[in-house]
Amino acid sequence: MVNAQKHMLTNISSPVLHRRLALCVGLVALALSPVVATNSFADDAAKPAVAKGMKPLEIKLPPPAFVGTPKDAPAGTNIEPLSDKPRPLLIVPDDVVNLAPGKTITSSDTNATAKVLAKLTDGLKETSDSTSVLLRKGVQYVQFDLGSVDEIYAIVFWHAHDAPKVFHDVIVQVSEDPGFKDKAHTLFNNDVGNVAGLGAGTDREYFETNEGRLVDAKGIKARYVRLYSQGSTDGRMNEYTEVEIYGRPAK
Amino acid sequence: MSRAVTLGLLLAVVVALALRCPQLDERPMHNDEAVNAIKFRTLLETGAYRYDPNEFHGPTLSYLTLALAKFTSAPGFVDFTEARFRVLTIVFGVGLILLLPLVADGLGRWATVVAALLTAISPAMVFYSRYYIHEMLLVFFTFLALAAGWRYTQNRKISWALLAGAAVGLMQATKETFVLTLAAAVAALVLNTLWIRKVAAPSGSPPCKLCPKHLLAALGVWMVVALILFSSFFTNAAGPLDAVRTYMPWLHRNAGASPHIHGWSFYLERLAFFHTKGGPVWSEGLILGLAIVGIFAVFARKGLQGANADFIRFIAFYTIILTGIYSVLAYKTPWCLLNFWHGMILLAGVGAVALVRWPRREWMQVSVAAMLLIGADQLAKQAWRAGVTFAADRQNPYVYAQTSPDILNLVDQVNALSKVSPDGHEMLVKVLAPDSDFWPLPWYFRGLDRVGWWAEMPTDPLAPVMVVSTQFHTALDVDKTHVMVGFFQLRPQTFFELYVRSDLWHAYLESVKSRQP
Repeated sequence: MVNAQKHMLTNISSPVLHRRLALCVGLVALALSPVVATNSFADDAAKPAVAKGMKPLEIKLPPPAFVGTPKDAPAGTNIEPLSDKPRPLLIVPDDVVNLAPGKTITSSDTNATAKVLAKLTDGLKETSDSTSVLLRKGVQYVQFDLGSVDEIYAIVFWHAHDAPKVFHDVIVQVSEDPGFKDKAHTLFNNDVGNVAGLGAGTDREYFETNEGRLVDAKGIKARYVRLYSQGSTDGRMNEYTEVEIYGRPAK
Repeated sequence: MSRAVTLGLLLAVVVALALRCPQLDERPMHNDEAVNAIKFRTLLETGAYRYDPNEFHGPTLSYLTLALAKFTSAPGFVDFTEARFRVLTIVFGVGLILLLPLVADGLGRWATVVAALLTAISPAMVFYSRYYIHEMLLVFFTFLALAAGWRYTQNRKISWALLAGAAVGLMQATKETFVLTLAAAVAALVLNTLWIRKVAAPSGSPPCKLCPKHLLAALGVWMVVALILFSSFFTNAAGPLDAVRTYMPWLHRNAGASPHIHGWSFYLERLAFFHTKGGPVWSEGLILGLAIVGIFAVFARKGLQGANADFIRFIAFYTIILTGIYSVLAYKTPWCLLNFWHGMILLAGVGAVALVRWPRREWMQVSVAAMLLIGADQLAKQAWRAGVTFAADRQNPYVYAQTSPDILNLVDQVNALSKVSPDGHEMLVKVLAPDSDFWPLPWYFRGLDRVGWWAEMPTDPLAPVMVVSTQFHTALDVDKTHVMVGFFQLRPQTFFELYVRSDLWHAYLESVKSRQP
């Protein structure tokens, strides 16, 4: 059997064998060509078009240096002052007062009761379990109903400031519409990524301090005030300590 | 071993796995875990490992990770997850339970079962079983050495001596602090021998005399194992010498050149009673109390039926000495407590059984057992809290310099930008942090091919994406070429600013807008 097969092979004429071999090689090349072409194409696609005599500048980047266990910051450490300059004073009409105490406060977090939300205007600005209002994670807001359309000159608010932390996606809006669908004015917005869906903000994030955050409202007329946030660098919950709304009845 | 004891050990293994395995990916990588992971990357991708005597401990963690990776057909490093690394330390944490049968005749059968259950539910054991660092491996190899040593004393078979030698070699190749454990074990052996000769008659069979040939063989195996691992399987000739040279920087650290200098009570505070404002109360006082009872039981020789007093006394001496050593040493990081804590758990097993046996009336024995079960239930709940609910929270006594979950928001943002960038995963990212305080970001940015890392502000810091420590006090968006997207917390009081080139940021915002319904 083996001898017969060997006989068959040696009996095929040389030109025929060569033609058949060439055909096989051609078929294999044809089969492989898409793979080769794809790879070449992919390589070409990855490389930027470069003029003759030029080349992409390859910048060697430094690798990360290895380090040991970092220091553990002890609990209760005082916040380092992030700026030694006091906040500039805001000049307002001399009949402007804090309108927030006694006003109706609501929240997007339906678990926050009126009694809990009342802490926002109790005058206590130190962060503690008894003075802070905790709202659920995600984008949440607190809303103040001033009872009438007033001229608002400044809104000052304190999130939790017991440790260095930054609250995300802080937005302050005022409106004459309780649903904020109509004529809502944005006074402050550091939601740079438009997470809350109220437009991409251009204000910077900031570290919470005992000074709170002051938003200049420039005397805008509105009845409702809303403050949004979405967690902080310290956790996903939203925390407020106090809110003050400075204004006077609209003339 | 009786069926009841076997079932008890199996139950302990099941409980141990139930507390250690869930949500392994949730806690962000610690600085040290990420360093270990990136060092492993070099071994995985190039086959090269070089022991560094200045830092980062021994080679066993990397090589065992490699072995596990090969055994489980692991993907490429970019596709590794936190869970894949942490499974290794879980294996060794649970392995402590599986070693217990080797000492069941020393501790006593029921004390062995109790020790197994306490190992399973100890919050410290659970927490650090889920940590990709060297400590759990060191504790495992230590116990293996002690257990093999005990078996040798019972039958003088050279195989046990060789295993003990190999275990000591693995201890050395895991962490430099093995010398402390070795010193405590030798001191305990000497003290115990003196005690047996001078104070008490030996319990059970006469003390086993160590055969010098067996000792030499064990020492030889120790040296060979250490040599193989420190030389990286004979590819790094300096490795074995570095294994000795390493003690200079460590002595320097203990003398004060370290941010981890703490008072003598640092470990015991975390174990006995820990409470921060607004947080829950933590205490492994049950184990501590039972360990004290166990120590009393062995010296008073009460309630030790079925156990070997000489073995338990050795464990007591060893644990007390090791606790003292770690408490006195100024350099402390909380995971180091595992080394003496494991001894406490063994003694607690003895103490629990003694406590149940001491009352004469059966109803009192049942009451004591019931109270211990209630305590164990509390401990298991704390273990869950430690490992899962408070895994990255400073209110957890075992959390130390832990990466904040907020950093994952930074990582998600950078990854989202790379999807929008025309360069894709070759998007240029520059990370700037003094003292190279940017870990674990090298782990999280492992899928990006062009990331540069600086410990100082470079002359040209600008890049499409810049992650900049707030300690630099820069405002790289002042020329409006970039947008400062936000602050992100790396650890408490350590923050980054994320700067994104304006065109890239607008492209990202457009992509988000187009995805919104």
